[in-house]
Amino acid sequence: MKAAPFSYLRPESVAEALQLLDRHDGAARVLAGGQSLMPMLQMRLMQPAALIDINRLPELATIRAEGPVTVIGALTRYAELERSPIVAERLPLLACAVAYVGDLQVRNRGTLGGSLAQADPTGEMPLACLVLGATVVAASASGTREISMEDFLVGSYATALEPEEMITEVRFPVSPDRFAFLERNRKHNDFAIITVAVAGRRDDDSDGWSDVRIGLGGVHDHPLLAHDAQRLLDGSALEDELIAEAARRAADGVDPPSDIRATAEYRRHLVRVYVRRALTSLRDDNGGACA
Amino acid sequence: MPERVLITVNVNGRDYRREVEPRTHLADFLRHELGLTGTHLGCEQGVCGNCTVLVDGQAIKSCLMLAAQVDGQRVTTVESLAHGEELHPLQRAFKEAHALQCGYCTPGFLMTATAIAAGGGRPSGDELRELLAGVVCRCTGYANVIAAVERYLEDRDGVEVADG
Amino acid sequence: MAETFEATRPVIHEKGIGASVERKEDDRLLRGEGRFADDVDPGHCLHMAVGRCPFPHAQIVSIDVSAAMSLEGVEDVLVGADVIARSDPISVLRPVPDAPSLNFYAMATDVAVFEGHPVVSVAAVSRAVAEDALAVIDVDYEPLPHVVDVDSAMDPRAPVLHPRILSSNLLATNPTGAGEPEAKLAEAAVVVEDTFAVNRVTGLPMETRAIVAEWQAGARELTVRHSTQTPHLIRKQLAESLRLEDGAVRVLADDVGGGFGLKIGIYPEDVLACLHAMGTGRPVKWVEDRVEFFRATTHARESVHHVRIGARADGEIIGMTDHYAVDLGGYNSPTGSPQLSSVMFTGPYRVNDARTERRVILTNKAPVGAYRGYGQPESCFVRELLIDRLARRLGRDRVELRIQNMVRPEDMPWTSTSGAVYDSGDYAAALRRAAQEIGYEEHVARGRGPDADGRYVGVGIASFVERTGYASSKFLAGRGSRFGAHESVILRANRSGGVDLYSGVSTFGVGSETSFAQIVAEVTGIEFDAVRVHLGDTSASPLNTGGFASRTLIAAAGAIRQASEELRAKTLRIAAFMLEIEDPADLAIRGRVACRRDDPEVAVGLADVHDRAIINQGMPPGEQPGLEATAQFEPEAAAFAFGTAAARVLVDPETGEFEIERFVVAHDCGTPVNPKIVDGQLMGGLAQGFGQAVMEELQYDADTGQLVNGTMMDYFMPTSADLPAFELHHSHTKSPGTPFGVRGVGETGTIPGGATIANAICDALEEFGVQINRLPLTPEAVWHAVRVARGSEART
Repeated sequence: MKAAPFSYLRPESVAEALQLLDRHDGAARVLAGGQSLMPMLQMRLMQPAALIDINRLPELATIRAEGPVTVIGALTRYAELERSPIVAERLPLLACAVAYVGDLQVRNRGTLGGSLAQADPTGEMPLACLVLGATVVAASASGTREISMEDFLVGSYATALEPEEMITEVRFPVSPDRFAFLERNRKHNDFAIITVAVAGRRDDDSDGWSDVRIGLGGVHDHPLLAHDAQRLLDGSALEDELIAEAARRAADGVDPPSDIRATAEYRRHLVRVYVRRALTSLRDDNGGACA
Repeated sequence: MPERVLITVNVNGRDYRREVEPRTHLADFLRHELGLTGTHLGCEQGVCGNCTVLVDGQAIKSCLMLAAQVDGQRVTTVESLAHGEELHPLQRAFKEAHALQCGYCTPGFLMTATAIAAGGGRPSGDELRELLAGVVCRCTGYANVIAAVERYLEDRDGVEVADG
Repeated sequence: MAETFEATRPVIHEKGIGASVERKEDDRLLRGEGRFADDVDPGHCLHMAVGRCPFPHAQIVSIDVSAAMSLEGVEDVLVGADVIARSDPISVLRPVPDAPSLNFYAMATDVAVFEGHPVVSVAAVSRAVAEDALAVIDVDYEPLPHVVDVDSAMDPRAPVLHPRILSSNLLATNPTGAGEPEAKLAEAAVVVEDTFAVNRVTGLPMETRAIVAEWQAGARELTVRHSTQTPHLIRKQLAESLRLEDGAVRVLADDVGGGFGLKIGIYPEDVLACLHAMGTGRPVKWVEDRVEFFRATTHARESVHHVRIGARADGEIIGMTDHYAVDLGGYNSPTGSPQLSSVMFTGPYRVNDARTERRVILTNKAPVGAYRGYGQPESCFVRELLIDRLARRLGRDRVELRIQNMVRPEDMPWTSTSGAVYDSGDYAAALRRAAQEIGYEEHVARGRGPDADGRYVGVGIASFVERTGYASSKFLAGRGSRFGAHESVILRANRSGGVDLYSGVSTFGVGSETSFAQIVAEVTGIEFDAVRVHLGDTSASPLNTGGFASRTLIAAAGAIRQASEELRAKTLRIAAFMLEIEDPADLAIRGRVACRRDDPEVAVGLADVHDRAIINQGMPPGEQPGLEATAQFEPEAAAFAFGTAAARVLVDPETGEFEIERFVVAHDCGTPVNPKIVDGQLMGGLAQGFGQAVMEELQYDADTGQLVNGTMMDYFMPTSADLPAFELHHSHTKSPGTPFGVRGVGETGTIPGGATIANAICDALEEFGVQINRLPLTPEAVWHAVRVARGSEART
């Protein structure tokens, strides 16, 4: 299972990387962590003319606070996210989700940017970034633009990135203060059958919830927010009956795939069950609940 | 003529200068260019982890890195563990625990365990099972592998280990 | 009371039989200095890549290889016409009774009958270039109608895979059994029955298949390095297919990265690599990649069973039948479909009227072959699930009902309806042990109902008897098998005072190097460390069969014992001569010396004794030169291991998810040569059995006929974090018919998992009336079973 031939390029700056991308006019791929790209090359599912290795661009791998906003470089490894005190404090849902990504070896190499660009419908990073309301900064030789996660994830393994664009960083606003996260797999470290990430703010005086987010992964073409369900819960105390109705709405709003891991019917059922359980956990477990 | 990339890489403490084809992955480079056949290929799909080596001290799957990428880096493979005739204590622990049968996945476990040990702490039980879940074994059922690594981490910290 | 190992061996030789000696294999494997087939890089080596049919069934209209031939670095290309001109079909080692030969050539010519069927092969300067060449080969396929399940394959309108040989896709019908079960079922007070579907899986050794073929044109000899469990069988089959004499073929297997039954006998790619080597005069290497593996290495187990078990009102089981269909895939592989579902159908139960009928059916899928367990997991699953249902119907306790019906020690030797002769053992004792360890009685007493988080607890058990080894070569001959039941060995004294052991068995994880040396040490008295074991070279070992069917130790132990006794006797005769002692029986070998039993100071070094014999100087008069012994041994009988597994599970009926809290196995494998190795074999088998029970499955799409999940990402084999802790409890009843009383242990672990877990889930969800009839037991499958039980959906 050897890859088809390609050229290997290692730019020494982001600007150079963008030039190379531009020059290749869609025939080049960015090589970051390589955890998804390399198997596809080796199975000859992809045959780019060139790989642009961006692993020696440390400017793409920083984690920093810009006031209330947290900025994570695209080349940041999952393992770095796991270890980062900034992420632990400011984006605990992200810290929780990253532990579910792959295995130890994958987490040493795989990157946040790579995960978003891959747009795996079961990806924990795209889901967490969606729920956290992140924006992707995409750069090309002609400039940069910001894309909200909802606009960024357009379909199964499909994003809004143009062929000559590369993700440089991901920007996160202030996180809601509480969250719950659940995932189910056929085996450990496998792609998820379903992932549920919920978050929201609770008023300690009134017990009322606001800014509730319900994110679903693995049950649709791409990770998505259950807007209908979210609307129902804003301002409420997350009472059981409302949670049950929200779960029903969330299940109605997805079009799950049937594949080797599960049928559409089972996935839809799990949406109902796990949205209910995640919201219950959000309400009852103090702080962040990472299953 | 296929394109070639010149790399200088340190493997197990020794520097090598070689020309590699861009598409050659690190595992094939180690095995067939350098003759270090201890690192094994189980899938070339990044799932089985049998090909795990250390790159700059980190456990990574060598079938998912290009040889061209390790230019200027330090690679450590299973061949670095023993000292001449002496097995490394981690290897001894595997032997005592009967933690290998066919031995094909064993280098992958040894290098992953080496990286875990270098990280400090003394994970055990479920935590250790999770950390080692990136290497697939079909022979042992894993129990003895976990026991061997636990034993090694305990002994290393000089803690008394009760028999049985 | 049957003899246990402990009862007759109060003192264990330090590194002899019964000692958990550290393995000889380990040092090199731990250092990364093993020699697996791909570790050797001969000079001028070419690398092969194989182009395969992507359709389940297709006519090959034309192949244009011109672009590939002109690619730089490509040295040789083979198409079907070349292959049938220069080779003969791959022989079947274990034929399906009453089945015609299907002429399995190493490459398809006009029709391909499974996705993955080789249609072209290329030898080039590197694997990468060979694959580049495949990419520019133009194959024009005309897809044909396909069938990917046994029912479709038996439909009268189904396309026939081998129309020149068969008129349908039914390869053979094989009935087994005795008595009048139909009559008994008719008179039974209670009959339980169901249709069960067992999943198609793969053994998935971590090393894929690999071969390095070298042809010496001058001497006209072929040397092959091969990842195999059976070097001598490979040699035989390659000689046959390549039209060479056996003596012109040498096969070497140094280290093999797992086999599990998948690496017995040759495959098409082995013939192709040899043809390339013979055609180019250069060494040719082929290493199977994992994507090929899922499509080209034999699959296992898939079958559909219609099973009935009938009992009297008092619980006595009086009749059993299993009509089952095996999905063979596109061809009959050398090891074919498993036999033991029929042979071991009645398991540990004393039933005199039981019949099975196996139909072997061809489909457009990868060929099926042997896999650890070889049909026993399937029969255990269908039988034990129905036994539990029988208990429920009769209102009887599941453990008590089993004990009532089990063959008892005093019944042994006991001939089952399939003709298997159970040798010895207390099946009920193993069952009671497992039940006790899992807390069965406490569980039954506690009663049912969900716990605080809505989950239900269940305990399940499954009992089994396992045939290990083959009864005899006569038995094999009766079934047309092209190999014998014997093993052979050469022991050769060396100048260092130790011995070299040569056997044609290869090293693929079962620890033969170590256990063989333990037996030599035990019988001769020579130090374990002074026994060097050489395995897997057909030129350096006597003809033998190889490692499979849990037969190795049974047969090899006999040969090693014989050779050891012979060598020891001659050594002591020479030593007695050297020490001027009348009777060699007064001497013994202790480590590195031969000495007087009653006065160890009177001794002579083994190195000296060996040296004399090797150069034939100073030998006793009348003694032949040299000091070596060759022995062949045929076991008198197969040995039957047995046991019971029990599991405790927590089930969430809302999602079907379940957790296995505990899994215990009470097991008897006779005399354990190396207890740690025995445990290792059990644990590995249990892990594979667990994988089949709850996670693994090879799925074919009915519409496209293609394998849906032929990659490591999509085939769910267990990781370290997926398995429960397996608790092992042993008894050691010696088998009366085997050397040292050993029984095989290599396959046992695979047998009870599916049955045990299924029974536990059904027990947990008894109030829902859940019934399980298929594997794997995924959460979704359990969820469906709950819905079916509730009437929310129909059963499939």
